[in-house]
Amino acid sequence: MAPSRGPAPLARTLHQTLQNHKGAVHVVRYARGAAKYVLSGGQDRTVRLWNPDVGTEIKKYAAHGYEVLALSVSHDNAKFASAGGDRSVFLWDVMTGATVRRIAGHMAKIFAVEFNEDASVLASGSYDSTVRLWDIRSQNRQPIQTLEDARDAVQTLHVGQTYILTGSVDGHVRTYDLRMGELRADFIGYPVASVVPSQDGQTYLAATLDSHVRLMDAQTGKLLNDFTGHENAAYRSRACFGHGEASVIMGDEQGMVWAWDLLDASVLQPNPPPKVHHKAITWVEHHPIEPSEMVTASADGTVKVWRHPS
Amino acid sequence: MTSRLKRKLNDLGVDTASTKANESFCLIGTPLPPLEKSKDTGEFVPLWKQEVRDEKGRRRLHGAFTGGFSAGYFNTVGSKEGWTPSTFVSSRSERAKQKAVRPEDFMDEEDLAELRESRKLVDEHDEMDFGGTEAELRRRAGAESAENDSIASALEASFAPAPKDSVGARILKKMGWRLGQGVGPRVTYAQRKAQGAGLPAREEDEDEEAKKHLFPRRDTPVLVAQKKANFHGLGYVPGMRLEESVGAGDGGRGKGPQLSEGFGLGALNDADDDDVDVYGGDIGRRGRTQMAYDVTDLDDDGHIAIGSSRTRSVARGPDNRAPAASNQTFSDGRPVLKGFLLSDRPVSEDRWFPLSEVPSGWKPNPRRVWESDKNKENVDTTRQGRDVPPPKTHAEWKESFMSADQRGSLLGETPLPSEPRSVFDYISQKDRERLQNIRNTLPEAAAPSQPESGPSPVAPYVRGELYIPHLHPSVAKAALQGFQPFTTDPMKQSRYTAFLHFQANRVDSSDVGLGLGPLPGQSIDDFNKELEDYAKSATVFKPLSGAMAGRFRSAVIVENGPKVIEGLHTPDLSEMKDEEEQKEEEKSEDPKMGAVRMGLYGPMTREVQPWQPTRLLCKRFGVKDPEVDMTSVAASASADIATPTAAAQAPLQIDAGPSDVASAGAAGVGFVSTGTMEGEGGDASRSGPRNLANIGLGEDEDQGRDTLTYKRPAMDIFKAIFASDEEDNTEDEEVDEKDVSKEPDSTGRAGPSQPTSGRSTAEPSVLSAPPPIDGTSASYEPPTNGASATEKVDLASFKPTFVPRSERDSRKERDKEVGKDKKDKKKKSSKATLSFDVEDDGFGPSLGAPRPKDKDRERKKKRRKERKEEEEDDSIWVEAPPPEAVKTLPTDAPTDVPMEKSPDDTNVVTKEAGPPRGRKRAIDFM
Repeated sequence: MAPSRGPAPLARTLHQTLQNHKGAVHVVRYARGAAKYVLSGGQDRTVRLWNPDVGTEIKKYAAHGYEVLALSVSHDNAKFASAGGDRSVFLWDVMTGATVRRIAGHMAKIFAVEFNEDASVLASGSYDSTVRLWDIRSQNRQPIQTLEDARDAVQTLHVGQTYILTGSVDGHVRTYDLRMGELRADFIGYPVASVVPSQDGQTYLAATLDSHVRLMDAQTGKLLNDFTGHENAAYRSRACFGHGEASVIMGDEQGMVWAWDLLDASVLQPNPPPKVHHKAITWVEHHPIEPSEMVTASADGTVKVWRHPS
Repeated sequence: MTSRLKRKLNDLGVDTASTKANESFCLIGTPLPPLEKSKDTGEFVPLWKQEVRDEKGRRRLHGAFTGGFSAGYFNTVGSKEGWTPSTFVSSRSERAKQKAVRPEDFMDEEDLAELRESRKLVDEHDEMDFGGTEAELRRRAGAESAENDSIASALEASFAPAPKDSVGARILKKMGWRLGQGVGPRVTYAQRKAQGAGLPAREEDEDEEAKKHLFPRRDTPVLVAQKKANFHGLGYVPGMRLEESVGAGDGGRGKGPQLSEGFGLGALNDADDDDVDVYGGDIGRRGRTQMAYDVTDLDDDGHIAIGSSRTRSVARGPDNRAPAASNQTFSDGRPVLKGFLLSDRPVSEDRWFPLSEVPSGWKPNPRRVWESDKNKENVDTTRQGRDVPPPKTHAEWKESFMSADQRGSLLGETPLPSEPRSVFDYISQKDRERLQNIRNTLPEAAAPSQPESGPSPVAPYVRGELYIPHLHPSVAKAALQGFQPFTTDPMKQSRYTAFLHFQANRVDSSDVGLGLGPLPGQSIDDFNKELEDYAKSATVFKPLSGAMAGRFRSAVIVENGPKVIEGLHTPDLSEMKDEEEQKEEEKSEDPKMGAVRMGLYGPMTREVQPWQPTRLLCKRFGVKDPEVDMTSVAASASADIATPTAAAQAPLQIDAGPSDVASAGAAGVGFVSTGTMEGEGGDASRSGPRNLANIGLGEDEDQGRDTLTYKRPAMDIFKAIFASDEEDNTEDEEVDEKDVSKEPDSTGRAGPSQPTSGRSTAEPSVLSAPPPIDGTSASYEPPTNGASATEKVDLASFKPTFVPRSERDSRKERDKEVGKDKKDKKKKSSKATLSFDVEDDGFGPSLGAPRPKDKDRERKKKRRKERKEEEEDDSIWVEAPPPEAVKTLPTDAPTDVPMEKSPDDTNVVTKEAGPPRGRKRAIDFM
């Protein structure tokens, strides 16, 4: 392949289809580290652990009483947290498949959970419009802190090294900066479905329900780029960076995976992209290391692993 | 090859020695077990070796010592160990899978077979055997076939179990019915004769006698329609021979015994007389068919029917004629299907009548129709004659009777000593008197009861006429003084008062003087209703009288709910205005949205607030506590409220916070009230015009803030008041140091003497606490130390905070060590927990910090104690004197660190205070 400007093309060859879920898959996450495994949670109240390479289901984690809407894997891959309709965060031991802890406290279903760097704090964002920060080290039942600034459901959050990024349906992306001790609320204007910061924390991607993905400057709150073309008006769909943060990937409600050039916001070929899922794509995650792999989860009950043709 | 097989083969004449006989056909696959080894069941086995096995080959009988019959693990319940009960297994996680357990789940196949057997729903014996049930038919057919041999049949009948009747039959029998009789009231002999016209008249001689009796009706055969379980066409008989199928034969008769007497032959077969004997080759069959036919014939001839024997016999007419017309043809020449007849009546068309026309002015009046017909069954004739009293209510009805007491008094009985009936009977005489007094003093207390019950459910006024409800003047007067229910509607209120005035001054029941009339557009009825409402509300809202009045407080406003408008919504002008105002508000609130629309993200859409992460959170994130200037928001919001003097003094330094408090204090304010501390908890609520935080506070947003945001004054204030100097001197180094830093002692040293110069070590609780204002130094010089040595300290924005140095240092240490600890822990955890990610274990084995030696132990203990004290300090606020052990400890730190130190003093101090501090503390290893 000739060296070309711009990002590497998106992995668009179907490598595996993981389809043991019954009902929509809401979230799929790579494991930490080398990210050899994939965790997915769905409407069927289970979390499943997959080997995306060979496409086998390794383990099924079933303790939830409601749908699983959020997953987060700890830094050492020994634990993971899941949450969803049953208003409590479940902390799982990966090997035994048992819940280590169930953290109750939210008043409504939980949309987002995230560990911090060393999995000592867990943040959970809920429909009750709060973000609660839980201490994993201690057995305290009370959250360390509750962030109640959101006026509507907190749909997404990210816990960085020294900051917490939340996106809410009230159209705000709030950055809680621990070092500065300040809260920066950026009004995006439309319900925020996903917020993903870049590696350096200088920018973040905010996908909103007006079918836009916006690249925002975290420092000033200015709009750096606006990615459109896809259709996302009703479902939470996650946008993420492509490999090397050179592109932006997002699945839309038609089942298409869109990719944009990060810099000039042009849709990468093919445009429009082919429809690869029957239903809306709920989650897209690019492999953290591998340049040619990504997974998509869809409401049609499948998780698809994409790779470059090798 | 077994000997038996050999023998058998020999018998069959096969040479067992030949290769063919020995040829093995089993070439591939699992070889069958060798025949030799198979158990020869005929073999003799000694008794002790014999085993009892059930049909499945399982061993059922074990020795007495090995479990007895059917015991043990393999056959039945229990376990390998015997009858140990199974351990409890929580089914909590499998609740969803759990289903109801049936007894069948615990049954083995024997039990199941038994169960199946017992479940046979149909009991062969439980049938009603008087009619066309199959059993009866069979029986009858059998009887017919064996008619010639009556003895045999009788014997058979006697051997057979007596048929059990069904419930219906038993009931019928109890009612006098016998088998063979018809159902229904008995009939006279003539009628019976008419029914049984075809019967042989053998009772002719008994006629005379018979006429005196009633006879049961003749039995009617139950018409049993045979179920058609096959797919043959109508009239087709499966087992027909050729000559029968040609048409002459009577197929039905072949099944004669199966045919019911009451069914079939006439309808489906050409039961004409002449074919009875034609093909009678088979005598037995012949006889049978003849019998069947005869019986049928007999039944057919007799006029036998329960209800409508006549019509039935009439209807049968064509049946009887049918044989003659069997070769009918349709008009087009085709023969009529066998078994069918041509109708001699033409197909009649239904006559159809047009609806009569309804006269134009007609209204349905069922009553007229009802009354026009005089002879009705259900009419209560007793009522028609005399006047019917109007229906009474229950109370009236009850009144109409004489009570027992009344009757007794009429009869002159002495009344029974009745039980006390009211609470007043239990009240002492004194109390009763008091009550009586109160009652007497009440202004005609009993009077209002009459008008209260006044408005009866039936409106006493005629529609369309003005009716003024009667209200007792006293009630009206009281209501005038009492609660005014319509204060929200002034017009209504004025009308109400006018009404009350009228009622209060009303002399008699005349309507003159009513100061109000119906509103324009208000009908009389509505007006009446309004007046009634007034009367009601007057009775309701009249103030409580007498003793009770003081016990209640009336509410201020009743009609404060949202106004509900009936009917279609017609927007009002004022409402429109309101809405516009609202819209304007929204617009003014919405520049952000406008900016978003324009795509002007940035400062327009960004809001920055201070945010205070909790200490633990910072610790967990490995971040120093940020020094959040939470007061800035509060100060901007409440500067003029809280510290007017400060605002006046430093108008430009809004975020001056405590420092201008300090200056204010210096100006002679003296002790700072808690008021300066406000604005910290409530600042969040200030941001929005109206949010959840300030709901319930009414107009005054500051309401209750003092109590909500009350913070204890700084420790040193307490100390300044309560602590004695001796204590200070004897305290150990850290406490001492703290004291030094905090204690506003009498030396005139500056109160906020140990500011941390903006270093982010302040803890939030201390952070916002105002400094103790005691000192005399209005213009005090911030002692330079550490990092801020070269910085010029802005007095306005400078916030002195009180953090004991030891704590600071220890925190620093902790910060340093947190990393180490984390690493250690990480290592531990990565070792302890199995991770599915192999590559992830990035941490090499690294030894932790060297453990302190034994000689340090004492120190450690000490430090632990000290730490405890520190914590107690935080929580309890009143210092306990240090324990003896601590007091006696050698401290090489200077007991009194002068505050006016050189810039690099801090380091010295920390070093000096260091020796225990530089080492790991025990806590770090816990």
